[in-house]
Amino acid sequence: MQWNTEDMNMYIHSKEYVDTCVIPLLPVSFNAEDDKLVSMAFQHEFLTVFTNEIEKQFKGRIFLSPSYTYSPSAEIELEMNRLNKWCEEAEAQGFNHILLFTMDPKWKKQERKLDGSLVWLPAGQVDSLQSEEAQKYVQSQIDQVTELIMAYWQE
Amino acid sequence: MSERKQQVSRRQFLNYTLTGVGGFMGAAMLAPMVRMAVDPVLQPKKEGDFVAVTEVSKLTKEPQRFNFKIEQVDAWYTSEVTKAAWVYKKENDEIVALSPICKHLGCVVNWEGGQGHEDRFYCPCHGGLYEKNGENVPGTPPLAPLDSYKTKVKDGTLYLGEAVPNMEV
Repeated sequence: MQWNTEDMNMYIHSKEYVDTCVIPLLPVSFNAEDDKLVSMAFQHEFLTVFTNEIEKQFKGRIFLSPSYTYSPSAEIELEMNRLNKWCEEAEAQGFNHILLFTMDPKWKKQERKLDGSLVWLPAGQVDSLQSEEAQKYVQSQIDQVTELIMAYWQE
Repeated sequence: MSERKQQVSRRQFLNYTLTGVGGFMGAAMLAPMVRMAVDPVLQPKKEGDFVAVTEVSKLTKEPQRFNFKIEQVDAWYTSEVTKAAWVYKKENDEIVALSPICKHLGCVVNWEGGQGHEDRFYCPCHGGLYEKNGENVPGTPPLAPLDSYKTKVKDGTLYLGEAVPNMEV
């Protein structure tokens, strides 16, 4: 389910079935060098496609949250507190599994201090997500992650 | 001049002409409005576009998943959406195309997904099960059978239309 009125109404009537929350983590800043800007835009594009596909597969059990955006220059400790606050709230709402999707290696280093399960996707060398080759590559990654999610559920 | 030929007086003539011309003008103004008012009634019901999905010769008795793209028009934008269908041939060669969207909460179901679900469709989210014909298995979360797509075969190609409630079960 997604963060829109239709899905939200569906969610509040079937909360007991929706136990997984997916939060994409995205760095956002205009104060950066050109190649960093491109990289941030790519992360946004890639994670949007990625998490939307996963949400489509598991619409009835996964809630796709709006992205958690942060400044790449902000202090990691502060960001971590803020992110853990999000996770805390999601947990209080009844989400047993909180999956944080990121392409930023910065989070990977702090993984243990996070209240959600971090799914780190390596950025890879995809110039455009539109090409057929890229679609196949991304699709194979999505298939692996859906299996990972099902494994989480079986625990 | 006899009185008979004077039946139409000048006054009457003008009256008739003005009523006639005025009537035409009025009609000319009203006609488009009336046309617009009844337009939805005259509009033929759009029959949902059919999309080529696969060759009929590729179909088997076992359900296979096929993807196809349709153009979806929302209130705000038009987008290309990928849809999927589980397609198979019945014993009598009749083609069945089922929507993979679980009727419980909308996840994507798989044919024989996971162990113990042989010959059935399985929903990984909450364990919903459907028979091969799309009928929901009682005791699992879904309360309705899988929707089925309208099918059409032309020159050996299978075309799928909109998904409609399953009438077979």
